[in-house]
Amino acid sequence: MTSEGEVLNKLRDAVLGYDSEAAIEAAKEAIDLKIDPVKAIEEGLAKGLREIGDKFEKGELYLPHLIMGADTMEAAIHVLEGHMSKAGLESTSRGTVVIGTVEGDIHDLGLRIVASMLRANGFKVYDLGFNTKTLDFIEKAKDVNADIIAVSSLMTTTMPFMKDLIEALDASGLRDKFSVMVGGGPVTDKWAKEIGASAYGRDASEAVRVAKEIMAKKRK
Amino acid sequence: MTAPNLWEVLDRACNTGPVMTGKDFDMKVFQTTTRLVKEHDIKYDPRTPVSSDEGLADEAWNAGLDLFREVGSYCISSGRLIRFDDSEIREGLKELRGEASVGEGGEMRRLTLRSIEDKKPPTIVCGGVIESNFPEGENFVKLYQSIAQEPLIDGFYVGPPLQSSEGRLVRSGTPLETHSGRSMATWVREAVRRAGRPGLHFISACTPAIANIAAADPVDGLRRSDGIVATIMPELKTDYENLNKVTFSQDYGCVKHIYNGGMIGGWAGGPEGALIVSIANTVMAIMVYKIGIGSSYNALGYLRASAPNYSAFVTRPCVWGSSIGSQALSRNTKIINTCIAMTNAGPGTEMQLQEITSAQCAAIPCGREGVSQGARRFKVRPLLGSGMENRFWGELAYALAGVKRDLASTIADKMLSRYEGTITRESDGGPLGYTFDEIYDLKTLTPRKQFTEIHLKMKRELEDLGLDFKDDPGGNS
Repeated sequence: MTSEGEVLNKLRDAVLGYDSEAAIEAAKEAIDLKIDPVKAIEEGLAKGLREIGDKFEKGELYLPHLIMGADTMEAAIHVLEGHMSKAGLESTSRGTVVIGTVEGDIHDLGLRIVASMLRANGFKVYDLGFNTKTLDFIEKAKDVNADIIAVSSLMTTTMPFMKDLIEALDASGLRDKFSVMVGGGPVTDKWAKEIGASAYGRDASEAVRVAKEIMAKKRK
Repeated sequence: MTAPNLWEVLDRACNTGPVMTGKDFDMKVFQTTTRLVKEHDIKYDPRTPVSSDEGLADEAWNAGLDLFREVGSYCISSGRLIRFDDSEIREGLKELRGEASVGEGGEMRRLTLRSIEDKKPPTIVCGGVIESNFPEGENFVKLYQSIAQEPLIDGFYVGPPLQSSEGRLVRSGTPLETHSGRSMATWVREAVRRAGRPGLHFISACTPAIANIAAADPVDGLRRSDGIVATIMPELKTDYENLNKVTFSQDYGCVKHIYNGGMIGGWAGGPEGALIVSIANTVMAIMVYKIGIGSSYNALGYLRASAPNYSAFVTRPCVWGSSIGSQALSRNTKIINTCIAMTNAGPGTEMQLQEITSAQCAAIPCGREGVSQGARRFKVRPLLGSGMENRFWGELAYALAGVKRDLASTIADKMLSRYEGTITRESDGGPLGYTFDEIYDLKTLTPRKQFTEIHLKMKRELEDLGLDFKDDPGGNS
């Protein structure tokens, strides 16, 4: 008879091995054993993804590993979520982030890294990709009831679109509903303050830390 | 048989290439690259920043060619693959003529091939300030005048963007950016005229194609002896903006300047994968951007270490990859290949000169034909750039001609060990440096003593390490 600990290890190892089939099998085993799906996610799958995130920070693994790990975790969550209450499902998420690169900017590598690191740290992430129009960020954030809109820019000529986002949120009375995080090569803390953004993340690690702080304040 | 011409390439990019999602393409690049690193037994060696292993360079070339043959390239605008068979790639490589010419009149320069450890000086020293982020008008003219008045400079890169146009904020893709593309070209012509070098070559690097196209003017703007930058995006990707730049350059008959590389930490994986991808990206420059047609040259640029804690271009693994990539292309192609240096330190600092030295050690002794685009601080701030670091850029390129790779490796190792520990999140990658008006007396357009002293100190130190800075390295025509 397989123990709970063994199944949790299988879930973690499946993520570490980027093996979606093994993750799905382990998720089914967790259901058969009546393991709390929230526990299966947090102490199995997410543990594996956090290990990948730690190795990424040390330069031992790379962006594709983060993405493959997140994909593996998502495949298993699809199996588990049918057996979870809405409250249970929500409790596994640290928060919901809509992320993308602003209009006119096609630099998406940093965006992918930040999105993957947020996923690895338990955030539910909706990645709108590069060259995203201001109103599309807002529409998506409304659709998914996001906590944070995270936007990046790699060029000084696309940074003004960040300001547009804040203005559009103000104009539509939604500024208090969504926190806005900004980042990217030329973006600075000073710029973030100037345009009235909620927070600035210098790099992916800082973005995760700042997102956690935002959520901690929101949940107080 | 001939290689597919540009119209056939565009047909594949826009109409006929197989459709694929971007994510699937990225993962295919990663998986294929990971496999090829193992198959070709390519291993990063941090002890030798400038490699002398020509067998490794040839393996890297073969792996890069295999990668391009297997995965092709991807147009993100159409979601289509642009692929070529083996015979087409062979024909494409034959299009390379091993020469190009830039500039006009007394400033015309002929770019020709150099070999590894060649005593021949670099055939082009292109300077500039990448993403200068300067205010429009007089100070912009003075910045490029300060570069153009340096005798070893054969041309320069004019990177986007201006802070403003007609006093208004410039946004990407808007009409004001189109207008600023034209304004920049006009001011550059004024800068080179003031420096007494009206035919000097420049490379226009506005982000949207239309801003470069608006700059085209055989008299007062971007001439046919000037160039437009088209970029290969990480990894093996293009889009309609870049294809528009290539198409216009070919139609107008100006120089194509292709910027590509491989990124450590991204879809290429580690340093070994980024090396292979950088070579595959260059093959893409030949096949998709048709660098063998017309007067064109390549800049094998970033092997950027992209990690959460920092981003940097002149790190130890980047220098290692660049040194092997230089040799791989020099030994196996007739591409005119140059180097750039995205520094973490700003102008007027010792660290920036150390980073420039590391970057060029992996280029000139390893067979690159010259240098291009100059230096910049990766973390862009306004007014960071001057003629002073461009002077060093040129003098060092000449001093490195004929230098053995072993010596280049020793020098690069010494330079890297000075600054690599300072590239941290806490330091924001390195010292900010000084602005143009701090480095130069703007009335006389001469650098201030404090900065000429740093420059001379660096040269004396490199002389002690075995370099020979000739007082007058001579012309380059």
